[in-house]
Amino acid sequence: MHGFQKIRSLLFSLSLLLFFIGLPFILSFALGYKFNRNTLKFEKTGIIFIKTQPAGAKIYLNGKLVPEKSPASMQELLPGVYKVVLELAQHYPWKAEVEVGAGKVSRVDKVILFPERPHLVQLNQEKFSSFRIDAEKKIAYYLDQDKKIMYRSNLDAGNFEDIASLPDKFAQVNGWEVSPDKKKFFIFNLHQISVIFFDNQMDYEYPTSPVFLDYPQARIINVFWHSDSYHLVVLTDKYVQVIESRAGAWPINLVELNNRDAVAFYDTKEDRLYFSDVQRSPEGSFYNNLYKLELSTNLYPLERLMIQPFGAANSKPEEEPGE
Amino acid sequence: MNKTPLLKRILEIIPGALSWSIIILLILLSFLHPVSSAVIIISFDFYWIIRTVYLTTLLVMAHQRLFQQRNEDWLKQCFSLPSELGFSELYQVIIFPVYNEGLEVLRPSLSALAASHYPLEKFIVVMAFEERNAHARGNAAILEEEFKNKFGVYLSTFHPDGLPGESRTKGANATWAAKAARRFLDSRFIAYEQVVVSCFDADTCVAGEYFGCLSYHFLTSQKRHQSSYQPMPVYNNNIWQAPSFARLVEISSSFCQMIESMRLEKFVTFSSHSMSFKTLVEIDYWPTNMISDDSVIYWKSYLYYNGDYRVIPLYVTVSLDVAYSSNIWRTMVVQYKQKRRWAWGVENFPFVVDGFFKNKSISLFNKLRRSFHLLESHVTWAVWAVILVVVGPLPILFGGAFFSQMAIAYNLPKITGLLFKFTLLTSLTWIFLSWTILPPRPKGISWFKHILLILEWVFVPFIILVIGSVPALDAQTRLMLAKYMEFNPTLKGNKVL
Repeated sequence: MHGFQKIRSLLFSLSLLLFFIGLPFILSFALGYKFNRNTLKFEKTGIIFIKTQPAGAKIYLNGKLVPEKSPASMQELLPGVYKVVLELAQHYPWKAEVEVGAGKVSRVDKVILFPERPHLVQLNQEKFSSFRIDAEKKIAYYLDQDKKIMYRSNLDAGNFEDIASLPDKFAQVNGWEVSPDKKKFFIFNLHQISVIFFDNQMDYEYPTSPVFLDYPQARIINVFWHSDSYHLVVLTDKYVQVIESRAGAWPINLVELNNRDAVAFYDTKEDRLYFSDVQRSPEGSFYNNLYKLELSTNLYPLERLMIQPFGAANSKPEEEPGE
Repeated sequence: MNKTPLLKRILEIIPGALSWSIIILLILLSFLHPVSSAVIIISFDFYWIIRTVYLTTLLVMAHQRLFQQRNEDWLKQCFSLPSELGFSELYQVIIFPVYNEGLEVLRPSLSALAASHYPLEKFIVVMAFEERNAHARGNAAILEEEFKNKFGVYLSTFHPDGLPGESRTKGANATWAAKAARRFLDSRFIAYEQVVVSCFDADTCVAGEYFGCLSYHFLTSQKRHQSSYQPMPVYNNNIWQAPSFARLVEISSSFCQMIESMRLEKFVTFSSHSMSFKTLVEIDYWPTNMISDDSVIYWKSYLYYNGDYRVIPLYVTVSLDVAYSSNIWRTMVVQYKQKRRWAWGVENFPFVVDGFFKNKSISLFNKLRRSFHLLESHVTWAVWAVILVVVGPLPILFGGAFFSQMAIAYNLPKITGLLFKFTLLTSLTWIFLSWTILPPRPKGISWFKHILLILEWVFVPFIILVIGSVPALDAQTRLMLAKYMEFNPTLKGNKVL
């Protein structure tokens, strides 16, 4: 037993020694201290942490190649400014000057290394003048104003197809947008809006396509789809209006505008229109206000119009369905 | 308890107050000064790595000794001892304090005793029942019928309930039984010096060589009456049937006891143990109002002999039951209560320090050393898992933006990660050693259980969290608030409860 106790005493002493000798080194490492051979002093150092996307980039620190590849951390760096170069084959290099503070971590962790030859894919197979991307459904829509044709493809350049024709009499297109239900789109110019169904997407609400909505007295600035894919929110030089996308519909003036060139943004998810308009102060100066207009079906009696078949709303707008 | 002197009350408060202060201070520092908190955590992590490696080395050494000695023919060695040492006159008093354990627990214990490689006519077996247990007399009669002819003397005692100055503790029952044994020894004119007394938990199944080993060490000890004799407790009785959670906890408990056996200056009796009957009488038996009678008996002896008292490790096993229940939740509760009862050993601290104040013969150095060991072991038990698991991540989580830009914030998780890698290394050693102390696989238990026994070690972090520190903190808090625990024995049995 005495032999074991001697070994144990030795082990205990060694453990104690290891703790008291090792602890200052570990703590100084943790706190970022390093012995500087030049000044013969302990100096507080810093850390550069590098993370790249993609990983595996070579790291040059003040021109010297670091053994580790990204992601990596360079410890015990004396405070100062370091030139960092990150290199990955067939990618553009990344360069920066990184300042290292005493006892601090300088994080270079948002580096994206872009490829030298980007992977380009042409999606369209026909000429077009403008396009829209539906990232959710992964569909691209193309509008060729010259040929007056709407095309569609998926985002992998497949299934390129002709899906609608624009009406011949619609000469100039100032803007267009596909409806939230992806069945139709509108085009507009200064005084007219047209709603056109994609081929094979007609339904009972639209006996004819295209639908024309004329604005002879006002200048159309912008048009938006309501989330019900039936109403249009129209910004003109005089009003903010809402109008059904059917032939013969009458617009409702929701807001009268002062500004003839109002700017607007429509939040389709919440059915909110944000627009700016000019106000005049008592002193006579002009200033802009930003307004929010709630257009959700909870606030406006639009739902009733939506669920009625075409024509019913036109003839008996006050009646409930089935009455 | 209203008469508890002020000094003792202060001593009762110290361990809990210290443990809570450490935890609260570290938590506050994590918010208010995360750098200081991180420095303390890294220091503690490093201390814990070294401590774990050191203790694992001790465990390997203890394990080696166990394997060297457990199969020795100790009886043969006893017979070869010089006759003047008195082996032929040596008697063994064996007391089994029974709380409410049934025959399914008691019968295997007595059978193991009867299978001892030792002259059974030297055994004076005392089955110590509690009078208040309705089944006590019935069970006593059955066991008496089965075992009375197998030992030299077989006694059944029935400890009356509610004696003045007593609590419902195992120590009170054992003391009652020891006094009965004393009357028997007196009636046969057997000198107490010739008697070794063993106080066993009711589920204790001794190894065949236990009493040979005990007698050998008792007789060859330079101060045989100033020593206690501590076997290595293993929980093998039902280990193959017990769920992973309970099995891991008990294996860890066995290992902790083996490690303690290598630290003689701190070694204290635990659970089933043996000592000189003469000493037991002189120190007035086990305490009758304290739960941790197994360790208090050591401290009573230590104080009585003015510090010249020790525990001699016996590298033979006594096997006990793994405490478990019918489902994991109830098993956790059973294990939690058992560990809390063990942690209630913190009541030793006021008892011992109070004794040190009264004792003028023990050197101040020894008083300080033993008090510190006692306090440090209980405080460490209560805080280590909380620091590692709960406090460790706090500076990173709540240190704020400024702290997160500091080198120490970057290095803290790396160093903590290193700690767990070291812990994994030591865990592999523990896994291997646990394998070697397993009893043979019983029939009907799949070989797959061997694989499970290795895989279950992944639960260790969870176990650390549940029963690492919390039961100890619970016990210390109760003592601090003077909410004294009552004896609540762990429900055990070879059958699932």
